[in-house]
Amino acid sequence: MAPGTARPVAIPLAGWAQRQLDALALTTRSRPIAELSAAALLGERAALNGFTVPGAVSAGGGCRLYPTRDGALALALPRADDRALLPALFGDPAAEHDDEAQLAARIARARAHDLVPVGRLLGLPIARLNERAASPAASLATIGLPAENVSDQPLVIDLSALWAGPLAARLLGLAGANVVKVESLSRPDAMREGDAALYARLNDGKASVALNLRKPDGRNALIALIRRARVVIEAARPRALAQLGVDADALVREVPGLAWITITGHGTRGDAGNWIGLGDDCGVAGGLSGALLRATGTLGFVGDAMADPLTGIVAANQAATMLARGHAGRMVVSMSGVVRSALAAERRRDPLALTQALRDWAAARGQPFGAAPC
Amino acid sequence: MKPGTKLKSAVCNTEVMVIRSGDGQIECGGAPMAEAKAEGAGEPAADHASGTLMGKRYVDAAGTVELLCIKPGKGSLSLGGVALTVKDAKSLPASD
Repeated sequence: MAPGTARPVAIPLAGWAQRQLDALALTTRSRPIAELSAAALLGERAALNGFTVPGAVSAGGGCRLYPTRDGALALALPRADDRALLPALFGDPAAEHDDEAQLAARIARARAHDLVPVGRLLGLPIARLNERAASPAASLATIGLPAENVSDQPLVIDLSALWAGPLAARLLGLAGANVVKVESLSRPDAMREGDAALYARLNDGKASVALNLRKPDGRNALIALIRRARVVIEAARPRALAQLGVDADALVREVPGLAWITITGHGTRGDAGNWIGLGDDCGVAGGLSGALLRATGTLGFVGDAMADPLTGIVAANQAATMLARGHAGRMVVSMSGVVRSALAAERRRDPLALTQALRDWAAARGQPFGAAPC
Repeated sequence: MKPGTKLKSAVCNTEVMVIRSGDGQIECGGAPMAEAKAEGAGEPAADHASGTLMGKRYVDAAGTVELLCIKPGKGSLSLGGVALTVKDAKSLPASD
């Protein structure tokens, strides 16, 4: 290596993600997919924003790891009025006005086993370091009708927002699908304003439609689009879809060859179906920070919202496999489950290499990461 | 009432968590809510039976009370007989 050339920081699990991407390239026989680098996808936002390898504050700054009396937890307060939920989380009206140090001290006096279940009831993105799995990476919730024909340019309806779902749809688009991004007029994709550069990267090449989903006309237009589609990608919690009047399972049973991908934080089973999950806390729930702690003794995040890009790749793979086989159904993909299964696969494959990758990651704290897209 | 307290409906399956509370009786289906489940099964009063939705936050006009529905039911929520309304959902920002 030439003097003065910094070695790029490797993101743990990038090798696993590359093997998923390679499988997607095989399934879709797509050259653009074959030319993609998983490391570039995992570090895409970090590269665009100049993020550095994080410690106990996530790369994007929105999520934090806090020690408690019984192990650490990750908590994000992404919405302005999330602070109004802190009194209920701690059972103390004064908690709403805590500054960051007071909040950390309050959490340090509590138990993660007490706070995390209440936080999840309150709809906060929160996770413990060493959780039991709430759901598998992917599970078939409903079986649909076999496809009647094979389509070279299948229609993909992307109802999702933020990162994981839009990435999945983008990958299918690169592989030749015709992707229509559908947004609700009242709740457009927050990534548009939150990170315009990443939004452009994730949604480039998609047709874009905005519908008033509060009105029957808008909902009917959405259902009509879905009836023509081969793939739907959505990331709404079960009750949000139901409240819109969209019955995913009924559509899957009626529309031949429809592959419906539901992206969730923690699956749809029982209470976990209502839990909020974002990329960093789902990475923690999937075991990434616990693995880092065991490998290095330090508390920190691994990657940038790691569960998001990993899940995007896995969801695209699931959809492409169903399309290739003519299978139809509703596939539930869990962000924390994806991280957990990726970690488990890497541990089985080469536990020493995984430990070394985590040590290298922790040693690079403070350095920029995310390869420039090739 | 302490924030974080869970209250159960006496007449349906509704359960709420108190986010904020002031004075006044919190009711569901027209009947007072309590931490313990009431004995026997009643029915929501006809004018308090529009139902509760999972995950929605309910407030009064003055903003003194805020309840989070953690289990839905047939009754609707009220404070001293005055119906509570659903607080508009805030979308998640893009920051993780």
